[in-house]
Amino acid sequence: MSTDQRPADALPVVTASHVNRPPARFAGVRRRVMQFFTMPTGVFGAVVLVVVVATAVFAPLIVPSAALDVTRVDGPSLHPPTAGYPLGTDQAGRSVLDLVLWGTRSSLVIGIIATALTVVVGTTIGLVAGHYGGWVERLLMQITDWVIALPGLPLAISLAAVLGQGNTSIIVAIAVTSWTGTARLVRAQTLAVGARSFVERAKALGATDGQVMRRHILPSVVPIVLVTSTLKIADSILSAATLTFLGLGNPMDVSWGSILNSALGQGALTAGAWWYLIPPGVAILIVVLGFTLCGRALETIINPRMGAFR
Amino acid sequence: MAASINDDASLAGGAITVPPARRGRRISGGYLLRRVLLAIESFLVTLVIGFIVFSLVPSDPAQALSRAQAVTAQQMADLRKDLGLDQPIIVRFFRFLGNTFTGNFGYSWEFRQSVGGLIASAIGPTLLLMGCATLISVLLGLWLGVRSGWKPGSKFDRFFTGTAVTLWSVPTFWLGMMLLVVFSVGVGPLPRIFPAGGMSDPTVDPSGIAHILDVAHHLVLPCLTLVAVTFAQNLMIMRSSLVDELGNAYLTTARAKGLRDSEVRRRHAVPNAMLPAITVIFLQIGGLVGGAIVTETVFSWPGLGLLVYNGIKIPDLPLLEGTFVIFSGSVIVFNLLADLLYRVLDPRVKG
Amino acid sequence: MAGSSRRLARRVGAAAVSVLLVGGLALFGQAPAASADSASTLIVQGASFKNNFNPWTSYVQGDKEIITNIYPSLTYLNDKQKPAPYLADSWTTSSDGLTWTFKIHPDLKWSDGQPLTAKDAAWTLNLIMTNKTAATSNGALVAQFASVEATDDTTLVIKTKVPVADMLYLNAAGGAQPGIPIVPQHIWEKDVNDLAADSTLVVPTVGYGPWTLTDYKANQYATLTANKDFFLGGPKYDKLIYQQYNTPDAAVAALRSGQLNVALVTPAQRASLKDDKDITTYSVLGSLFLSIEINRGAATKSGKPIGDGNPLLKDPAIRQAINLGIDRDTLVQKVLDGQGVASGAFLPQQYTDDWQPEEKITFDPDKANKILDDAGYPKGADGIRTDPKSGKKLSFRLGTHSDSAQDAQVAEYFVPWMKNIGIEISLEPMSFSLLNENLAKANWDMLFDRWGSGPNPTYLLSTQTCATLPDDDGQNGNTDSFYCNPEFDRLFALQSTQVDAQQRMDTFHKMLQILYTDGNNLILFYANGLSGVTTNQVKNFMIGSTDSAGNYPPQNVFLNWRTAEPVAVESSSTNVWLIVGIIIAVVVVVGAAGTILVLRKRSTADAKE
Repeated sequence: MSTDQRPADALPVVTASHVNRPPARFAGVRRRVMQFFTMPTGVFGAVVLVVVVATAVFAPLIVPSAALDVTRVDGPSLHPPTAGYPLGTDQAGRSVLDLVLWGTRSSLVIGIIATALTVVVGTTIGLVAGHYGGWVERLLMQITDWVIALPGLPLAISLAAVLGQGNTSIIVAIAVTSWTGTARLVRAQTLAVGARSFVERAKALGATDGQVMRRHILPSVVPIVLVTSTLKIADSILSAATLTFLGLGNPMDVSWGSILNSALGQGALTAGAWWYLIPPGVAILIVVLGFTLCGRALETIINPRMGAFR
Repeated sequence: MAASINDDASLAGGAITVPPARRGRRISGGYLLRRVLLAIESFLVTLVIGFIVFSLVPSDPAQALSRAQAVTAQQMADLRKDLGLDQPIIVRFFRFLGNTFTGNFGYSWEFRQSVGGLIASAIGPTLLLMGCATLISVLLGLWLGVRSGWKPGSKFDRFFTGTAVTLWSVPTFWLGMMLLVVFSVGVGPLPRIFPAGGMSDPTVDPSGIAHILDVAHHLVLPCLTLVAVTFAQNLMIMRSSLVDELGNAYLTTARAKGLRDSEVRRRHAVPNAMLPAITVIFLQIGGLVGGAIVTETVFSWPGLGLLVYNGIKIPDLPLLEGTFVIFSGSVIVFNLLADLLYRVLDPRVKG
Repeated sequence: MAGSSRRLARRVGAAAVSVLLVGGLALFGQAPAASADSASTLIVQGASFKNNFNPWTSYVQGDKEIITNIYPSLTYLNDKQKPAPYLADSWTTSSDGLTWTFKIHPDLKWSDGQPLTAKDAAWTLNLIMTNKTAATSNGALVAQFASVEATDDTTLVIKTKVPVADMLYLNAAGGAQPGIPIVPQHIWEKDVNDLAADSTLVVPTVGYGPWTLTDYKANQYATLTANKDFFLGGPKYDKLIYQQYNTPDAAVAALRSGQLNVALVTPAQRASLKDDKDITTYSVLGSLFLSIEINRGAATKSGKPIGDGNPLLKDPAIRQAINLGIDRDTLVQKVLDGQGVASGAFLPQQYTDDWQPEEKITFDPDKANKILDDAGYPKGADGIRTDPKSGKKLSFRLGTHSDSAQDAQVAEYFVPWMKNIGIEISLEPMSFSLLNENLAKANWDMLFDRWGSGPNPTYLLSTQTCATLPDDDGQNGNTDSFYCNPEFDRLFALQSTQVDAQQRMDTFHKMLQILYTDGNNLILFYANGLSGVTTNQVKNFMIGSTDSAGNYPPQNVFLNWRTAEPVAVESSSTNVWLIVGIIIAVVVVVGAAGTILVLRKRSTADAKE
């Protein structure tokens, strides 16, 4: 499919009724918010996300950083849960609960930055390609097609390995391998919007390309991009955890992936340290599920024909 | 979740890109040729991208490789020469191209063996694992997808889409670790019922039925891991494809003709929904290789993924490069097949 | 009426169930590995195992372990870690120390029946001296050889350029760093032009030793068959299998289920294996140190400074303070779970007759702070000290191996300890290759370092000599930490010619004291090697006796695999295996047939419509 020159109509374009509405940016927001609250899975996802984000923001208040300093903790090594340590301890005697709470920050931040980068790159390329057309479009879309054909994880692993371990490499690797979907989506949307009268009028009145893109096209692209980003954050978090687990992350960073990576390195599975293994994995599961449910609910609202997932 | 990093393998049902329906098209020689040429072009570009990635950072592995062993300065210089590091970049590129087309892929830094040989010995296990997992995951996903999509919102639908989305949100490596703990390490009174890693037990006669059973025994957990995290995609694709068909007038017509519900589903809805679904599923098979890397790592399955994992540490660029070429090639081949498959099959004929 | 898609569903369900059944039944078929075969089999974990069994090019310890068991050497390391007669029954040295004459054991035969004589040994050593590929793995060991000659079938004469004190170690089988293996001339002669080719590996391998390599599968296992007539005493087991496991968990899970007899374990696993009555864990004194090396002003051979190391580290006061700020005992307790030796010595105690420094440096942050205060580095508001001359903070980079969990664990302690004495550390995780590249270019302040040594420390000590510094263009270096000290070099040259073991050891002690005092490489600890053995299946595995801390001396696979003996086990019923096999076969066939039937029916049904 990558090399197939697919016509624009094959792409997931927002339905006609939506596109033909004038770009009153958030028209019907209220109605949509109400609709969102009628979807139990979406609400569940949203609640999960609020809790998770709150945890990430307030982690330093809940868990003092000294609790993560191995030279200052005095817990027993790899001890099962007790009253003092509800999720047991790691090898250095730190509370696993503290680690997992603190890990929320890093895991979430990497996922969000990687997604932001993905979306910015994808939107820019899609917008430019859709707006200018001609050889610019052909070139950009050809590149997009080529990149889509690349296998994601092997490319990300190679990139991260070549760039050197660390969170920056992981973020770059994720962005490089996942901007293509957004680019295609935005291009199709741009084409649909660009053909409409108010854009034509703006051009006729002498608006520059930049102004047209910023003021007229971008606003109609933003909602759908935001919705797909919600789903992309879930992907990015999973990918980041996977790359970290494979040893491409910063080993000093406390993230869910790195906790599992050190658990594997220390043989925690066979040491029977289930309390060390289950919480980080469940945390990833919950966050990814939260973003997925939320994203799918939003998608259904933006484009009812797509999801029907409730 | 490895597969998720590939955009096309995203679960986002709404983002499914379904090629436009064409009516009664046969594959003409011209089309076939054009399509194959496109695939070759794509592969060449992949090679260039691959080479660029692996040449991004100038690297002198000779220093690293000769560490912790007694070597003389002359040996170091020879090693650099053997690895081709003294050549200008353009020469290295053409050497890389030549290597790729001869299936040689250069010389692994980590293993000190030809990458081609390493890949040759690892490709079989990967094909076996991927083949089994894909087959089960596609069958299971399609079946559950049809059942869920026919009556969206039913208990069945809610249960299985819920399960699927949950499993899809689980990191592959973590699920593998959990299965390993439960079934190989043994939890509490539970016995250890599956081997913890590898592909065969060397004490079992390496030929005959005993060997096949032994491999099957080793295959269960990695296969289960891959199926669990990938069947969700197939389910969701099939489901949303079928849901799309539900409102169509031809179904109402069919019902009006007096056909039973199950017959309407079987004869009309499913065949029409199946085509786009199968095509998309085919497109995603290539994306599954990512899952194989993680699964093979957790279960020490001696395939390409394990090679990749072993190559990360140094990093062993020729090995990563070689496996990258193989993975890209397989994605391109599957894309080509999906495209041709779509041309051969046509839904509307029977609709 | 059930529609065909429901039928399909049912069949798919049935197929899925049969797959599960296969799995379910296959699991009952598992039998304890050691009793599955009538021949006794010892299964051990292959550590860092690359399946490169080429005696010329192999360089990984796991592969060398196998090579040293399938090709002979002139000597071997005995249970006291001293060279003992193997191919060479006896030897003499000329008075100038330049000529070694070995008497080769007569009437030995290679595994294909051809005679094994001094000529094979001479051919092998000469090839390593003259052929670049042959020198890949052991070239540096023969660097001082002038000539090697077999004067007859049982006499081998080696002449050297300078006295070579460690001649017997260079040629010793077994141990952590096996010496030069002797290979059959009549087999390898034809491959001289392409010694590294994959095609040179043929099983069963023609060699001589306690074992013969009879089978291997890349990245999976290698099977060795016992040579019961081995003239130093054949193995008790019939077969030895090296099985590769990628994660510590996979290996220990296999150990627990009896599919593996010997596994390496982590401290956490060791603690959990204590309750398992079938498994005994052993702790062996380690020969590998973990250290933090400090760039005290890197320079080339000609003394030209290179790299971007922080000049503040040239100040001995700062280096001393860093050294005093490290709590080695806590590292051993916390990171190694007590399974290791906290030591600042450059060589492990077991190979240096328990050398101790004249004045031991112990953890003392107060003293470290005082030294830095006195040296004129005042603490700022953030607790970090500043150099008043340059106005720069005492902030240093520490490179860690990104694939090493241990580096990360130690760094977690090191960083706060340094902060405690007013030094800021920023961590830079790097890949193996990048770290070593930066090391060579001197682009570092501090690096984690890991080195191992056997009973012959010549090579490890050589990495601290001036000769390993790079040329002015930054090339041709092989230095450990850009250390260069003429007195150390003099002692290094001296020891290499001291054929008398005691004199040589005295020289080693002086060298160790120099390194300890100069503190360019802060050794942190020697981690014990931990292993688990299924002692319900294997006995007499370990060699030597434990010290007061319960640690065994370094083990030696050349001996361990030979002394290990199977424990008599109750015979397991092979009938169960057979019956299960038949059941599974039936299920598979039925399942497959069913699936095919469904598919065919389905396609004919479609065609009809």
